[in-house]
Parts: sequence; structure tokens; C-alpha cells
Amino acid sequence: MKKYLAPAVALAATLAAGSSSAIEGPAAALQNRTIAYVLSSEYYALYQTKDAKAECPTGFNDGPREQFKMLFPDDGTKRTVVDTQLAREAEVWFPTLKPEAFPFKEAQSKIAPGANLDGKVGPNDFTSPTGEPGIDNQLYRAIGCIYNYRDGGELWIITTKWRQQHNFNRTIIELTDVDSLVNDDDVTVTTYRGLDKLMAGATGAEFLPGGSQRVDTRWGKEFIYKFHGKIVNGELITEQGELVLPEMAAFEDPSVLPYRSAMFKLKLTPEKAEGVIAGYFDIEGWYRQLNQGWATHHQSYGQESAPSLYRALYRLADAFPDKTGKNTAISGALDVKFTQVFVQHPPQETSEAPAKKLIQVAH
Amino acid sequence: MRLMRANILAITALIAFGPVAMAADSKKTAAMVEDYEHVPLPPGFQVIHSELEGPVFADAAGHTLYNWPSKGLRNGDAGEQKGKPGCDNVKQTETSGLMSPYPPGLILPEVETRPTCTQVWPPVLASADAKPVGKWTVVTRNDGSKQWAFDGYPLYTSILDTMPGQTNGGTHRRTRGDAPAYRKPVSPPPNLPPQFRVERQMTGRLLTTGGFSVYASDKDGPNKSNCDAACLRQWKPVLAPAYAKAQGELSIFERSPGVNQWAFRKKPLYTHLDEEKPASFEGSDEPGWHNVFTTMAPKAPADFIVQASRGGEVLADKKGNTVYIYMCGDDAIDQLSCDHPDTPQAYRFAMCGGGDPKRCLETFPYVIADKNAKSGSMAWSVVAIEPLTGKKAAPDSTTALHVWAFRDRPVYTFARDKFPGDIGADGWGEFNAWRNGYKAFWLRDDFRNNAG
Repeated sequence: MKKYLAPAVALAATLAAGSSSAIEGPAAALQNRTIAYVLSSEYYALYQTKDAKAECPTGFNDGPREQFKMLFPDDGTKRTVVDTQLAREAEVWFPTLKPEAFPFKEAQSKIAPGANLDGKVGPNDFTSPTGEPGIDNQLYRAIGCIYNYRDGGELWIITTKWRQQHNFNRTIIELTDVDSLVNDDDVTVTTYRGLDKLMAGATGAEFLPGGSQRVDTRWGKEFIYKFHGKIVNGELITEQGELVLPEMAAFEDPSVLPYRSAMFKLKLTPEKAEGVIAGYFDIEGWYRQLNQGWATHHQSYGQESAPSLYRALYRLADAFPDKTGKNTAISGALDVKFTQVFVQHPPQETSEAPAKKLIQVAH
Repeated sequence: MRLMRANILAITALIAFGPVAMAADSKKTAAMVEDYEHVPLPPGFQVIHSELEGPVFADAAGHTLYNWPSKGLRNGDAGEQKGKPGCDNVKQTETSGLMSPYPPGLILPEVETRPTCTQVWPPVLASADAKPVGKWTVVTRNDGSKQWAFDGYPLYTSILDTMPGQTNGGTHRRTRGDAPAYRKPVSPPPNLPPQFRVERQMTGRLLTTGGFSVYASDKDGPNKSNCDAACLRQWKPVLAPAYAKAQGELSIFERSPGVNQWAFRKKPLYTHLDEEKPASFEGSDEPGWHNVFTTMAPKAPADFIVQASRGGEVLADKKGNTVYIYMCGDDAIDQLSCDHPDTPQAYRFAMCGGGDPKRCLETFPYVIADKNAKSGSMAWSVVAIEPLTGKKAAPDSTTALHVWAFRDRPVYTFARDKFPGDIGADGWGEFNAWRNGYKAFWLRDDFRNNAG
């Protein structure tokens, strides 16, 4: 890919010299009414108590290993690969909504992080940990008692690590038309995929503002979306719109996380942006990225049964009904942290010309 | 069954050798066969140039030789240790439980007709008076017979190879996770100075140094660099140390007084500055610059195009639908593959249609070919498939589909892909599809190593 590098070190030094925690901040980060951030941390927005008894009073769900043993007990019966292993895997990839024998434990809490997506306060809505009513986060109800997603679960641990490690997943938001990071009634947010590593601190645990990210307009076209929004008392709140996030997980499978409708709700400073990307996940797309990123083997680590979860997703789905009235999307949110970054847009000509190149190589 | 012909020259002439920059003159490139270290061979063996794997050892009839090195799976090891043949004539009937998360003891599909390991992988037997030569040794099988080994690993041929130069039995293609312990073609060492390595890519055998791609420029002459000061801001000559000597197809020339640079087939070599990803293709985006291949993979038939995707480039049908390869190995201790039409189709049917062959045809349709289409290579072919069994059709079948195959295995598209270059089925299947499922036909991956 054609390089369009700028002196990232110099930019970082500029920002470091002017770094400030003041909400208005120095001019270094907000330049030409523009500021950008790169996604550096991502978890599903769940409300978790330490012992889980409040939200999961009957414990966590069973996973593939446990379900397999229930279906096919070790009682000396000879069984075939087709009737057991392949039948279970077929259910993963071609799930159904037919009732199954396994109970599914939904999260019982009345509290959940997220956003009020429909502007209403309904009986199935949650109250946020800060007391905001009407939170739409039915995904929490579906995954809140699956250990994989909880603090300490494999997916909980690794997803954000891969977000940080893999450039495929690099996600940038660029805010333009910004007059103030405190109050501005009309800003534009554009999402891109970046091409560069995050700038880590000395310990590797923190990421530093002031790095640079090249925008991927060649392979990353499908990750470019625009949102209109406003900044109120330092919080960015966008309108809702379609969004697809790159989501590479285990073993390099380049899957995507598709929202039918999403919004950003982020507390802004010149150095970082923290909050949620809330919205309605497309169930089929969400389910596919789960299985492309996480094999039954990995799901077993965190007692996550994909076929059981599929049923729960549709049972709890709360938006985008199809022609039959069946909802096809489920509300949810990602708990996210962004770190300020300087964005480098490519020259105009880089988009298409090189794509023809490999034809010569391969043919 | 085998129709071997020792017409090696005819085979090699089909192959596109060398990088793009050097492939313009077909008469010249026909002679550009990848060099290798001419290690001593026992009588009856030879080296053949394969399209996908470069030079490989073969028996007298031209069958490519394979080994089966041990691989650690989640619940134990499969494959062979050096000096210990493990592929025998015992029919396996149950799974071994080596691949997580399923238990052992499950009865294998088509168990009544399941072949033994040696029926699929005939051992390369040695005569009683066979003598070791170099790294070629003789090991004793469990039944007392003698078998040739190379570098300690017992050698086999594959029943899927029917012509000299075919490598249908196995590949050095990279795998991940609990992929089976695959068989791999055995090759003589490449004739390269220690600074260089060859990396297997779907587009060919890529020359690298320190893991990074090397490039050649159209502006350079034979053993002459025209990379000036401006050029050097992007490109770093691959310098040869004072003690280095020309070897094989790599020569050394003096780019400036006292400074020596490597050249491959007389083309000066460079790395691309700031390239972070090993075995990258990014430098070839610069006009006039090319990756360097010791052997180019044969071009795909005209029914295919190259399509941009979210991670790089994939092979696609003419409409831009991403093409997928199906991968499968069973979980018996002998790890026989199940990715070929001659093997049980129950694995694939589970992944492509939940067990329903008709749904498979809708979800993962074959890439249909003209019955008489020719590919110009051995790697690509047209095969007749019985659609509801997934197996090769009888010659007189009236229901057969004629479909494109790569390495004698059909390729597919995915009906749920929504736009050209969508890769919605990449990783669709057991263990991210490395064990039993579909992977996109990656040609270039700018983010990870899916094309490797």
C-alpha cells in the first residue's frame, strides 16, 4: 500500500508539549476545527456485580461441552460423527428458532449501561448505572449470564486485546466542524479504518494521545460512515445511522460487527473519548461474526452455546421488524475508549489504481 | 489408475516462472525453473518442478513425495516423528479426540468403505539393500518392511497425484488452530544464500530477506541498479556482505565502489522502506516495482478475476463473488483429509447446508465451468460432480455439474455475500474453518497472513 507517512514523532511531541486535562484543551489536538480519536478499548456494555448473584441468580449458562454431554452422555452407546459432532456444528452454522431442551439464563438486572435508542422508557428497558432511564440494551439480557462476555471470560479478555493489536480492527472517528469540545450544536463524525499501530505507553497498558493514523480508503471503504451530532457539556451525542466495525478475532478471520443503526455517546477531552457505541445490532451479522471469530472450541472456554444464544437473540430482539413482524435487530452497546490521534488522509489517487496490479501478478 | 508420464519438460512449460517483470518473454521464462540445492539422490528418485510448491522430490514414475510431520493439536499430537512410520494399513473407524472440543470414539463417516492410511498414502518402500544417501535414510516400518525417509521423516506418495508435478496430496500452505496434521510435499533445499528465504503464498513462492519481501524495478538493467537518491528514499538495496558469494540464481554486482548488491536472475533486489508486514505486497503498488517470486503460481482460468475485499485481494468469479476453498481433515488418528470429492461428503454437507445437499447447492454453489474449458495448468481443472452426492460423477452421468476445481477440489461462492469482494464465509466452519469449512481464496492480505 502506498505510504503517505507524516512525522508522527513530531506530532506526538507537539501534543505532549501542550497536553492538558482541561476540557477545552490546547489547540494541538483540535486543529482546523477537527479532532480525531482511535478506538483503543472495547467491551460489551454489561452491568456486572462481583458475585453475579444479582443479575444471574441461577448461575451462568452452559456451553457446548456441557450441552454435548447432556445430549450424548458417556453411557457406552456408540454414536457417529454425523449424528453428534457434525449435527451440533450444523446447528451452529444453520441455527433454528425451534425450542430446545436447554434452559437459557437471561440477565435479570434492571441496571445496564447503554443508551436510550428509541427515546422511550419501556417496561423492558434498563436504567443506566448513573440513573438514566430508558436504556435499550437487550443484548445484555442475552449475553449477561454467559461467562465468555463477563469480566475474566476469554472473549472479554481477548477482544479488546485484538482490537489493540490488529490493524485490521483499527477504527478511527474524525470529528469535523468542531468549534468547541464543550458545547457545539453541530458536528460531523466520520468513521474510518486506520492502518497503523496504536501508540502505547511505556508499560504497554495505556495508549498515548498524539499518535498518527493513516486512513484506509482502499480496503477500508466499507467502514466509512458519517454521523451528525452535537456536543453537550463535553459529551458527544450523534444521531443514529448504519455502522459496520471491523472485528477480526481468533485466527485471522476478517469478520465485521454490523449495526443496523448506531450512535456515539462519548465524553470528550482533547486526549480521549470514552463512552458507548450504542445501537441495534443486525442479528444475523452479529451471530456470524461470533462464529467466524470464535470456534466452538473457543466458545467452550466461556460456556457459550451459539445455537442457544441465537434463539435468545431473536427472542429478545427489539427493532427492525421484517415483513412478518419478526424483529431482526437487538439493542446493545459497546463500552469503548478512544485515544486522540492525528489522521492522515491519503492522496486522491490511491484508491483504485493499485487494485489492478495483482491481476498481473496472479494471472 | 495412475497415468503417469515422465514428460517433465512438457509440464514445466505450462508453468509461469519468475516475477512479472521477468515473465514478459515466454521463450526465456520457460527456462526459468526455480533453482534448488542439488543434494544427492538415491537411485530411482528425481526432482520435479511443481506449479504450486516449486521443486519437489518424486519417485521414478514422477509421483511427488510427501511427509507427515508431527503436529500438536489441542488434545494431543498427530503425525509422525522422525524415524517412526505411523501411517499403516489398519482401517481406523473412530475419532481420536485430538481436536477440541469433541470427544474420541465417534464412528467415522462411510466407515465401511473408509480406506486405510497406506491405501491413501502409499509408503515409498526401499529395497532390502537400499543405502542411505545424504539426508535420505531407510527406516523400518511396523510390518518389518523398509521405507525411505528424508531428514528423518518417512516418505509417501498420494493417490490424488496422477501426473508428474502434481501436488494434490498436500501443500505447504499455512494453517492455524486445530487444523489436521497435513501431509506436505518434500523438497530439496532452495539454492539460496542464508540471507534469503522462500515464503509460500497463493500467488507463488515469494522471495524474502529477514522475512520481508524483496522487490525488483523495471528501471534497472541486468546486474545494474538505476535507483538514484530519490529512489533510495523509498527503496533499500539488499546489500551483499563482503564475504558473500553468488549462489544459484542470486548474483552479486557492485552498485557503487565497494558496495555490493544482490540480484535475482540479474535483477537488482531491494526492500521497501517502512514496510511493517512480513511477506508484503505493498511495495508492488509502486508503478514499475514488483515482488520477486522464485516460482509464480499458475494463473487462474479466464472465468475468474481479482477482487478487492476488506483485507486485501481475493479470487472471484466474473461477477466479483469471492471464491472459497473448502478445507477438511477428519479426526481419526491417521488424519485423512475429507476435502476432496472422493472423500466422505458428510463433513462438507454439515457446513454448507446443515446436512442437506440441496441447501448446500444454494448456499455454497459451485463455480460452474464450460465442460470443455481448459485452464492451461495442472492446478486448475474442470471436474464433473454429482451435485447431490458431492462426489465425482461417472462419465455417463446426465446430472453431473461441470465445475472449476483447484488442486482437484471444487471451488465455491457464497450466496449470502452481499457485494463484490464480500468475504462473509471466510472462516465458515469448524475451528474457524481450518478443520472443516470454507476459506476465501486470498491472493493478497495486507493485514494478516491469509494469503500465505
